Amino acid sequence: MNSHPHSTYREDAQKGIDSPRLQKSLHNLQNRFGKGAMDIWAHLEDREMRRRVKKARMKNFDHLDILLAELASNVRARGGKVYFAKTARDAIDYTLEVAKKNQVKRVVKGKSMLSMEIDIDPALEGEGIEVVETDLGEYIIQLGGDKPSHIIAPCIHLDRNQIGELFTEKLGIDFTNDPPTLTMAARKALREKMLGADMGLTGCNLACAETGQISLVSNEGNIRMATTIPPVHVALMGMERIVATLEEHRETLQLLTRAAALQKLSTYVSFLGGPTGQTDSDGPKEFHLVIIDNGRSKILADPEFREVLACIRCGACLNICPVYGQIGGHAYNSPYCGPIGAVISPLLDGINKHADLCKGETLCGACKEICPVQIDLPRMLAALRHKLAYGSDRWNTSQHNPAEAYGFTLWRLLVTRSAFYRAFIKIGRFFQRPFVRKNKMISKMAGIGSGWTKGRDLPPIAKKTFTELWEEKYGKEKPAPPTAREEENNG
Amino acid sequence: MDNETTFLGNVRIALGEAPRSERPKKMFPRLFASPDTAAILDKIRSRTVAGQDALVEIFREQAESLNLSTHIVQSFDEAADVVVELVRSKEPEFNHTKHVSMHDHPDITALQLWNRFTREAVTLHTTFGSDRQLKDKTIASFIGITAPEIGVADSATVIQLTQPGQPRSTSLLPSIHIALLQRKNLVADLNEAYALLREKSHLDSMVFISGPSKTADIEAQLVHGAHGPREMHLIVLAVPEAVDKETATPVAAVTESPEGS
Amino acid sequence: MSGKTVSLFIQCLIDTMFPETGLAMIEVFDRLGIPYEYPTGQTCCGQPAFNSGYQRDAAAAARRFIELFESAEVIVCPSGSCVYMVRHHYPELFADDPDMHSRALAIGAKTFEFTQYLVDELEVVDVGAEFSGSVTYHDSCHLNLGLKIADQPRTLLKNVRGLELIEMQDSNVCCGFGGTFSVNYPEISVAMADEKIDNILATGAGAVTGCDISCLMNILGRLSRRGEEVQVLHIAQILAGEKGGKS
Repeated sequence: MNSHPHSTYREDAQKGIDSPRLQKSLHNLQNRFGKGAMDIWAHLEDREMRRRVKKARMKNFDHLDILLAELASNVRARGGKVYFAKTARDAIDYTLEVAKKNQVKRVVKGKSMLSMEIDIDPALEGEGIEVVETDLGEYIIQLGGDKPSHIIAPCIHLDRNQIGELFTEKLGIDFTNDPPTLTMAARKALREKMLGADMGLTGCNLACAETGQISLVSNEGNIRMATTIPPVHVALMGMERIVATLEEHRETLQLLTRAAALQKLSTYVSFLGGPTGQTDSDGPKEFHLVIIDNGRSKILADPEFREVLACIRCGACLNICPVYGQIGGHAYNSPYCGPIGAVISPLLDGINKHADLCKGETLCGACKEICPVQIDLPRMLAALRHKLAYGSDRWNTSQHNPAEAYGFTLWRLLVTRSAFYRAFIKIGRFFQRPFVRKNKMISKMAGIGSGWTKGRDLPPIAKKTFTELWEEKYGKEKPAPPTAREEENNG
Repeated sequence: MDNETTFLGNVRIALGEAPRSERPKKMFPRLFASPDTAAILDKIRSRTVAGQDALVEIFREQAESLNLSTHIVQSFDEAADVVVELVRSKEPEFNHTKHVSMHDHPDITALQLWNRFTREAVTLHTTFGSDRQLKDKTIASFIGITAPEIGVADSATVIQLTQPGQPRSTSLLPSIHIALLQRKNLVADLNEAYALLREKSHLDSMVFISGPSKTADIEAQLVHGAHGPREMHLIVLAVPEAVDKETATPVAAVTESPEGS
Repeated sequence: MSGKTVSLFIQCLIDTMFPETGLAMIEVFDRLGIPYEYPTGQTCCGQPAFNSGYQRDAAAAARRFIELFESAEVIVCPSGSCVYMVRHHYPELFADDPDMHSRALAIGAKTFEFTQYLVDELEVVDVGAEFSGSVTYHDSCHLNLGLKIADQPRTLLKNVRGLELIEMQDSNVCCGFGGTFSVNYPEISVAMADEKIDNILATGAGAVTGCDISCLMNILGRLSRRGEEVQVLHIAQILAGEKGGKS
């Protein structure tokens, strides 16, 4: 099989599979949160809720320009600034400008996948600005120079001993592997950072156009701090993360917190939409909402893929995906991992580049079952594979594996001509003979078959196929109906 | 403004709409339509005291698993007792003196806390908007007291709207958060809460709080106390109907910490 | 009894590699007095091509299938994934061709998975089979999540005299086959098969069964390589009363 020259998906997958630590973490995670979310859906009082929210999301995309305009207008009415960034570069440049104007020396970040998608940290650091992740999981990742492996629980691949060692090394505390003690150490360290920060940089879970607010969901309180203490707050928002009304907000929020962590509500849901008012005593003096496209309008334009924009980044699909459960998040080599990552990473960042993400799952359908907004990810994975199979101008995709394409052309010739098909089987049956072992299985094959026989045996082509057996028994005629046959047998 | 026009133009192109023609919201009345909340508001307003008491019970049950301690009291005096007990029994986390920050709210004023700490080293701060040292005082406080607008029984949530004299950081920076809620402000679920929020003329900064801060980032083990308060107490004022809350003495006088300005 | 003549849609894998499963299915039909016929020109429903993205090639196979089976009264197949292909993906493949699209819908409406046909259409829950031993059941993904078939196989198994049905942990988690995934991403595929097999072994059952030969082939292949003694039987074989399966 041809991989994209630089894809390390299979090697990284193997690393994940070979790590007992990771396997244990993923197993616990999926057992609790994957099954837990499915349980919640099964007992949801309002059976129509998920469908309703999905429908609302799609309806909002049809009117996205109007909603974004309304959101911007309401934010500005409050004294907030709104910047529309077409590309990642635009968003970074704007944020850097804001930072420079305000002589920002330290930025504290709330967890934001979008900030990783546009890769803003190196740009800030390049300007001599200290960037501090404040979400505990992301902070641990940052301390260790690591990469997150899950959308909600970024350092799930590390165990308490590794974290303990990291904290001893980087924070200078005595070694401990007790999670509460480690958390307290981080609490102390980060409190200082947050109290002395010049700018808070967050994402946006859901924006409400009607009220002109963004809302941010957290359990730790770091996002509240990052959006209250520093004098400047910049919020990065994917242009699709918007609802029209408060009512839609409520329902979407309820699905998000249940799907993400089995909670009725996260500990904190912050609503903000502007700088501190005349009568507020705290809060930022400047509020900037940066609305980002970075490839989303292209997805919006394609009816095959528009649905994926409905994602509310809950991470539930990761918690049930059997492939993710084996390989972990790092193998995806993208800010977005798991089933959702397998669809949006190619769409945002290149289908050929992420071909392994398109092809590297079984289309089992579990992600579709668990998705709070019922996104049909398997359908879109099949559609991405279609692009790779024949190439796609629209998506700037070249045919990924010409040999495989040729193979399926041959396959088509065979399956549409039964005489050829049968002959091919006979040929295969002949040539397999040396490969069939004493246990009646084939254990070594060349070419494409080697993928199978590396780890498994393969039953050989039968001495007589069902069709051949049938024709032996009945010739080329239909069999008599049962009663006639019974008489035949009895007679 | 220019990049907005281009940006939204691109969105319109993606939707198959004319790029340069803005689509005004008034042409899409159903887009921002919301269901009528009259019935819900009625339900809230006509809830009996017995009904409210039932909600208090639900709140208390839900709050347990969130490590949110619920105290049900019948008078401002009793409420003050709870606060005093907490102030006396808890130790500051980040410094060595006991500072308490409180929102400027009639219900908190009614506690008359300044009368309770006359013989001990406890400094009380009211978070007046005019106080330029607010941030430092809040940082120094180990307890923050607020009076949230709405309580939600179903999810053990309190909703705080930022108002003059009621800043965001009071329920955030101190290690312990005490929230004071009148029973009549408790609603059943988020549906009712949002109906009340919709009645506001405009919404600015607000926060839903459902317990002390927590994290499960390390091995998915739940730890209470991340960056926000590590302890939270809700005092539900189930004041008998007859008593008015206008028992507070005016704030201007008496034993608060000397103002900086 | 519905009285309809069943057109057998046998699945390419069963035809070429596991014909005994096909024989088992018709033995069950014989016992129940169901008339059947077998269009011998059948090859493949097109699923391997579709799942790998080769939709044009899959459509060619689909077209042939539709032409071959269109005149059938009812079509029964001992494979959940093939039935899912016909019911759900055939109409998608012909979304731009109204004529083929409606023919695809029509054929999907009369295509059934074997256990579904027995239990839901024929209302048969006891096929008069015997089996001595314990069996655990694997829920294949397209059968369970796609077609929502989970009770029917279990109902049939529970009525097999002498059979002890033991549920495994995570019976509904993917076995790792996934078509060409199994050869393109073998390390992940085998890791998933291993987890499935560990769950099978944990039940202590002497045999594992299911309704999809592709899953069973995957499980069988890995069991064999691991040298485990568990029998692998398609449900048709159990319902036909056979005790020998491949192992």
